Amino acid sequence: MRDRHLKYLFVLPALVLVLVTSFWPLLQSFWLSFREWKLSRARESRPLWEPEFDGWETWPYLLENYQRALEDDLLWNSVQVTTIFMFASVIVSVGLALGLALLLAPGGKFRLTVRTLLILPFAMSPALIGISWRFMFQPDFGLFQALFGALVPGLADVDWLGDPTLALIAIIGSDVWHWTPYLTLVFIGGLANVPRDAQEAAMIDGASSWRVFVDVTLPALIPVLAVGIILKSIFSLKMFDQVYMLTNGGPGNATQTLAHYIYFHGFKYYDMGYASAVSYLLVIPMLGLTWLYMKLVFLKR
Amino acid sequence: MGNTIRKQVADLFQFVLILCAAVVILVPIYWIASGAFKQQVDVFQLKLLFTPTLANFNEIFRSPYNLHEKLLNSTIVAGTTVIVAIPMATMAAYSFSRFRLRFERTMFLMILSTQFVPAVVIVLPYFLLFRDLGLLDTRLALVLVNLSLILPFAIWMIKGFIDGIPLDTEEAALVDGSSRLQVIWNIVLPMALPGILTAAIFCFILAWNEFLFAVIITNSKAVTMPVGLSLFHAEEGVLWHLISAAGILIMLPMFGLAMIIQKHFVQGMTLGAVR
Repeated sequence: MRDRHLKYLFVLPALVLVLVTSFWPLLQSFWLSFREWKLSRARESRPLWEPEFDGWETWPYLLENYQRALEDDLLWNSVQVTTIFMFASVIVSVGLALGLALLLAPGGKFRLTVRTLLILPFAMSPALIGISWRFMFQPDFGLFQALFGALVPGLADVDWLGDPTLALIAIIGSDVWHWTPYLTLVFIGGLANVPRDAQEAAMIDGASSWRVFVDVTLPALIPVLAVGIILKSIFSLKMFDQVYMLTNGGPGNATQTLAHYIYFHGFKYYDMGYASAVSYLLVIPMLGLTWLYMKLVFLKR
Repeated sequence: MGNTIRKQVADLFQFVLILCAAVVILVPIYWIASGAFKQQVDVFQLKLLFTPTLANFNEIFRSPYNLHEKLLNSTIVAGTTVIVAIPMATMAAYSFSRFRLRFERTMFLMILSTQFVPAVVIVLPYFLLFRDLGLLDTRLALVLVNLSLILPFAIWMIKGFIDGIPLDTEEAALVDGSSRLQVIWNIVLPMALPGILTAAIFCFILAWNEFLFAVIITNSKAVTMPVGLSLFHAEEGVLWHLISAAGILIMLPMFGLAMIIQKHFVQGMTLGAVR
């Protein structure tokens, strides 16, 4: 067989599979987003591939899901929750990770051992993290209760998951625990590429280590920091597993992220059309971040 | 003299900070691990010292929890996903790496871009499709959706490894009259094998920890380990000693696999699991 056929033949199975498993559902949910599709109704129990043309009277419905979404206070609540969550966890985890990376970068046996530990949180199932943190936040016998109580007596009787603000802090905490180690490893990788000579030259010139950091190290780190921030933002936008296991969106709707909101309307109310419409509102910021990420990571190569 | 003391203080300070970070990472993991060997009373009394027991592991494998079924589901789903995805990904990665293709960049970016679609968007039509096909709550359905997650990532990762293999031996063999397929089988595959295995391990971890698809598509027969965690509710509350026993079974194998590929872990994660 000639190479020019072979090379396309090699790509074909993967391409077809990606088209079928990713693009098809994407288009399908786009189509769903313009329809009133409730599983509770008989008409919608028809197979997906036999859509019924309901006649022109359904046309006015076309944008109703989107309109309803824009007018739904609960949706705006979850947009707000997601935004707060995203900014808080990006700022805290990137900040901590940068500090930790600077601490761990020099190498040496002790530091390398701790670096190995950094892999563990990330190899853990987020669902397991969620459920174990829920237990750790339990009012009567939770680990945090005991720890915080011992350190700051005022925190001994706090019901973390029962209070709207504290529950959000709890989720952010579990997410920061999950992500900081990974970001640290990314930044350590970035630090390895910072020119040593420049750092040493600045040191010899008598610059303080703070000035060396600000003038030499930080500028060189900016591309890696940008990648870390964008990736963390993407992950924060789609936050679901830990929310589901840790608070299930509660108390009330205080920790209901967008992904959880979509899940809730799609699979608790079986309101597929509406859930699809909302999910496209999640796709929009994701597209922006993806574009930035692609520009930074792939397109420069 | 003053300088050395200042340096020593700074070193000690750094040491303490790093130690704190290590403790923060380890405490929740230790908490899960120790809970698995505690009796329920010890869990509720928050004991640090306790008489270890293996009874929890016994209990989770018995009715009503039957965790071995979930363990089997997780293994089969993650395993099948990897076994299907890796050969396809390797072929595609080789092509992207070694040939000039028409629309190469478009195809490659198209495949990669699917990684950025939130899973919750994809899962809505999947749910309806599987309902119509009678595939809800089956392992097959889970393998299919997991493929959408794994394949693009596997292609990207394996391409990276193949890009790193020098072209000379391949070209020499081609000049000597070997066919392209022989060259791939005899030269490229053996050289790329460590990379391919790394990608496979990575994909296995992703599929093993996958939660959103599993929680929506399964409810009894095809439940996987992470979803199985929510089984342990009783009238007296959350059965932490059982959850942590199951937790050990979920996390320990992944820790082991992550250690094997630790050098490539970050590189992998930079694209993998974005969804």
